[in-house]
Amino acid sequence: MSDILLRASGIHKSFVGVHALKGVSLEIAPGEIHCLAGENGCGKSTLIKIISGVYQPDAGSIEFDGKRLDKITPIDAILLGIQVIYQDFSVFPNLTVMENLALNSELSNKRKVVNWKRMRQIAEEAVAKINFQVDLDALVGTLSVAQKQMVAISRALMFNARLIIMDEPTTALTRKEVQALFKVIMQLKAQGIAILFVSHKLNEVFEISERFTIFRNGELVVTGQTKDLDAAKFSYYMTGRAFSEEQFTATKLGDKPLLEVKNLGLAGAFSDISFSLRSGEILGITGLLDSGRSELALALFGIRQADSGEILIKGKKTAITCPQDAINNGLGLVPEDRLSEGLFLPRSIADNLIIAEVDRLANRFKVFDREKRQEEVDRLMKEFAIASPNANNACQTLSGGNQQRVVLGKWLACGLDILVLNGPTVGVDIGSKHDIHAILQNLAREGMGIIIISDDLPEVIQNCSRVIILKEGKIVQELDAAEATEQAILSKMM
Amino acid sequence: MKRILSLLLVSVMLLALAGTAFAQDKDWEIVVVPKDASNPWFVRMKVGVDEYAAETGLNVYQKGTPEIDATLQAQLVQDLIAQGVDAICVVPVNPESLEPVLKQAMDAGIVVIAHEGASLENVNYDIEAFSNTGYGAFIMDNLAEAMGEEGLYTTMVAHVTNASHNEWADAGVAHQKEKYPNMTLLADEARVESEDNGDVAYNKAKELFKKYPDLKGIMGTSSYDAPGVARAIDELGLVGKVFTSGTGMPADNKALLESGTVKSLTLWDPALAGKAMIALAVKVLNGEAIEAPIDLAVDGYTALTFKEGSDKVLEGQGWIVINKDNVDSFGF
Amino acid sequence: MQKNLKKLTKRSEPYIFLVVLALCLLIEVRSGQFFTANNLVDIASAMVVPGLFAIGTFMVIVSGGIDVSFPALASLTSYATTKILLDAGYTGGIWLPILMSMAMGALLGAFNGVFIGFLGLPAMIVTLGSSSVFKGLMQGALNSVQLTVIPKGMQSFGTSALFVATNPVSGLTSRMPLGFLVFAAVLILSFFIMRYTFFGRGIYAIGGNEVSAHRAGFHTKRTKFLLYVFVGMTASLAGLIRTCMMQQNHPTNMLGMEMNIIAGVVLGGTAITGGAGSLTGCMLGTLLIVIVENSMILIGIPTIWKSVFVGALIIIGTGISAYQVVRANRTGGFKSRIREVKA
Repeated sequence: MSDILLRASGIHKSFVGVHALKGVSLEIAPGEIHCLAGENGCGKSTLIKIISGVYQPDAGSIEFDGKRLDKITPIDAILLGIQVIYQDFSVFPNLTVMENLALNSELSNKRKVVNWKRMRQIAEEAVAKINFQVDLDALVGTLSVAQKQMVAISRALMFNARLIIMDEPTTALTRKEVQALFKVIMQLKAQGIAILFVSHKLNEVFEISERFTIFRNGELVVTGQTKDLDAAKFSYYMTGRAFSEEQFTATKLGDKPLLEVKNLGLAGAFSDISFSLRSGEILGITGLLDSGRSELALALFGIRQADSGEILIKGKKTAITCPQDAINNGLGLVPEDRLSEGLFLPRSIADNLIIAEVDRLANRFKVFDREKRQEEVDRLMKEFAIASPNANNACQTLSGGNQQRVVLGKWLACGLDILVLNGPTVGVDIGSKHDIHAILQNLAREGMGIIIISDDLPEVIQNCSRVIILKEGKIVQELDAAEATEQAILSKMM
Repeated sequence: MKRILSLLLVSVMLLALAGTAFAQDKDWEIVVVPKDASNPWFVRMKVGVDEYAAETGLNVYQKGTPEIDATLQAQLVQDLIAQGVDAICVVPVNPESLEPVLKQAMDAGIVVIAHEGASLENVNYDIEAFSNTGYGAFIMDNLAEAMGEEGLYTTMVAHVTNASHNEWADAGVAHQKEKYPNMTLLADEARVESEDNGDVAYNKAKELFKKYPDLKGIMGTSSYDAPGVARAIDELGLVGKVFTSGTGMPADNKALLESGTVKSLTLWDPALAGKAMIALAVKVLNGEAIEAPIDLAVDGYTALTFKEGSDKVLEGQGWIVINKDNVDSFGF
Repeated sequence: MQKNLKKLTKRSEPYIFLVVLALCLLIEVRSGQFFTANNLVDIASAMVVPGLFAIGTFMVIVSGGIDVSFPALASLTSYATTKILLDAGYTGGIWLPILMSMAMGALLGAFNGVFIGFLGLPAMIVTLGSSSVFKGLMQGALNSVQLTVIPKGMQSFGTSALFVATNPVSGLTSRMPLGFLVFAAVLILSFFIMRYTFFGRGIYAIGGNEVSAHRAGFHTKRTKFLLYVFVGMTASLAGLIRTCMMQQNHPTNMLGMEMNIIAGVVLGGTAITGGAGSLTGCMLGTLLIVIVENSMILIGIPTIWKSVFVGALIIIGTGISAYQVVRANRTGGFKSRIREVKA
């Protein structure tokens, strides 16, 4: 056994016109937890696909366990002990846990006929390896994201895995679930299995990995010991830019409350919620996944209707029974899952930008004014620095960060007073995250009232002048910027 | 890949274009549009049309849609209008929905002759092999004879929207009331649909005989009705107990007639009807005066008269009966 | 036991079964004829052809595809078989016609399979197109007309009975056709394929998540290709049996059946989005449609209201199925689909 399990060197890969990998290298030792980081499009997914046999490299070599790999297929990779856990986990929502677990190994044994008894045995052994408690007969579609991930990990372990590649495994997990995942990863390490952990979340990289590698634009930027890394260096390596994260302080605080919420309640989600928001202020609301934070956002915007309490906007009692009411009263929402709730993905960027202000773009005959539309679209594209060659491209062609900017742009186009953002930077890379924060801080300085609902504590602390902590549907604490430290918030949240 | 596909597509289109380029240059281009192209009824009509073309040398041909479908038929007629034919002879699937298209044809100066479409307005003339009342009564006579002029019966049509089928059925019922007092119409199910489909006729008949044990006869109209019903009679073990009669082609029903499951079927010869339509179209195109009685020099269509109260619908005397004795004598 | 019972209420089959039962009772009350030996045999006999079609349609829909070309395929293969054997003066048994039409069915199914499986084109578009091609071949190249005489072997296969059911009261008799055995055999075979072979599990897996199925090691392209070949074979078998049972071949009277067949399969709880559904449910859904189609007179629905009644039933039935999908969404089943799109 050599002391290097996987050695990829000088890997090149081009797709029609795009040079995705420009001679990158990567080394992983047995039992090592190695973090591969980089912004979207940096080539890390391409490298994973090359290691797992999905793509063939144009140049360069891959050695695994001292042997050179040439032209391997995904099945070869699996047989060698290389397993990939994709972001979507590659599970079948319509099949049972048992089948999801057993299918791969049965298929790799080239079986033609199903033996359900043997499938169950395989599944039982698989979950036992990481001590994962689950109903084998449940449909995977009914499981939580974390459970699906455990199914994927258990399945990967059945092939005497030597190297497990996890592609952004924590994206949809709660804090607790991430901790559980890390525990499992440590267990695997103890068994001598190497982990390639793909992530762009700084705190995770620090917490779990021993060594790291960062790619940018298809090139290797740096590789080394995690202990030599710090936050500023990390962002710099990732983006090539140096950021000075600015702590937000409210400079143009209004004297009257813009939004007042009194004793708001929604059965099964939250109760007795009261707070107020002044113009020029950024209010943070944080809590665990089940704390009722998302439901609160939906209730403010009229998607869910609160069943008790009242909402006052600019001192006036306002009934918000549907999103249109909220918009008419100057309140907008950037939803949690921008993909399914905030954007019309197949429609053009331009259409998405102007959708909320469509009424204003009509001329006096109530007919849609094309010229006006174009002016507006050009203005918004520039203001929010949306990186796309053409505003007529479909929204789904944009990266996560740019999509989020489109959602923001859409709301700001209609001149709102209050903006509620639920998880504004979930799944967004560092550069875009920084830009979004800057936009929000600017908006607040210009007098808008902003509510950020997020469980990303550094984000909340850095951007909010006050923080409300929710737990089990109730406000447990309100902290001002000076008191709000990660430790203080966590102790109340849990 | 894409380029090859599109090349292929273009060449297919060119080929199709070339196919239509063999236009003949005879005096009149007359097209017969039946309800569809595969129903043996219209296959037989085509025999007459082709015969007529061979005899006269005129540019006469039949063109049918692949399925019985009112929309497809309307599209076909529209295509013919665009093609600039001189006369269209049509057997409408659904007269009402064809009216606007036929109006376009008339407006374009095309002579329109219909068959089995007495309700049509946008035609020069409509030829019926016989008056619908006459034929309905004729079917009823055959059914009554089989049933021994007594018992419960019902009527079957292709669709309740089908013009001539329903006129025959109505006339049959009226004729029964007048002439066969011992027969009664099944009031609960006075008219059922066979959807011009032998299998549906078969299943409907089975249901009818199950629900109404006293039912003794079914009057068919479409050429699928009586044969389909006969299949049910045979399977249910009712041969000799219940009866059916209606339109049917001789060759197709030879076995049924000879086994005695069906005593007699009624018919007119679609080949002759096709010829008659064309002959009338030629007369109109030639500018001849159309005054009753008209002789088209086609058997059964030698003394056409106008239907009462109409100056468009012409009726002949083209009905025939088919039984086990004469079934072999038709040649189709 | 308690757990099993609870599981049962989560499935759609029991609901469909109850609907079928309710319908049967309604017919019985209205006509007094439903639960008679001969009527039950009639229903079974009317089930043969739609049942065979439904099996194929079920498998295709589970794979996340759709097939609207099977009536045209069945028409073409049964017509060609009958015509060729007639012209050749064939007087032998039923095996040659069956093998011939199934071979043609496999070929035409492979045509669909190449485009859908190997070239990855959308199944709806491909089968709409191939449906036209099959019809065109039949009407253009083969110049199809109704064939009122069919070869001897087919004739006797169509009229032979497994047994004859007699109604003791009315004396009416109904034949259980031999074709029913074929239907039962195909049903059992398909059940085995879907439940006990990795080909069948692959169909479910592809319907659930095609990318994952590929990653798991299924030969997704080959599976889809073979699936359409199999569907072509069952459809052509159905076409041939229908010709035998009707004692004649009418080239167009199966066209248009696809709507009710698909409706029956979806009624039976098969998710139109693919991945979920059972043969039991599929058969119950088809049975429901067959019973309704063949009991309008027994119930006493006036002819002109028939299509309204059938349509309403389909909407209600599929509504139940759709509601189940919505319910599944709430528990996160659908979320994973969204994630998949994102990746």
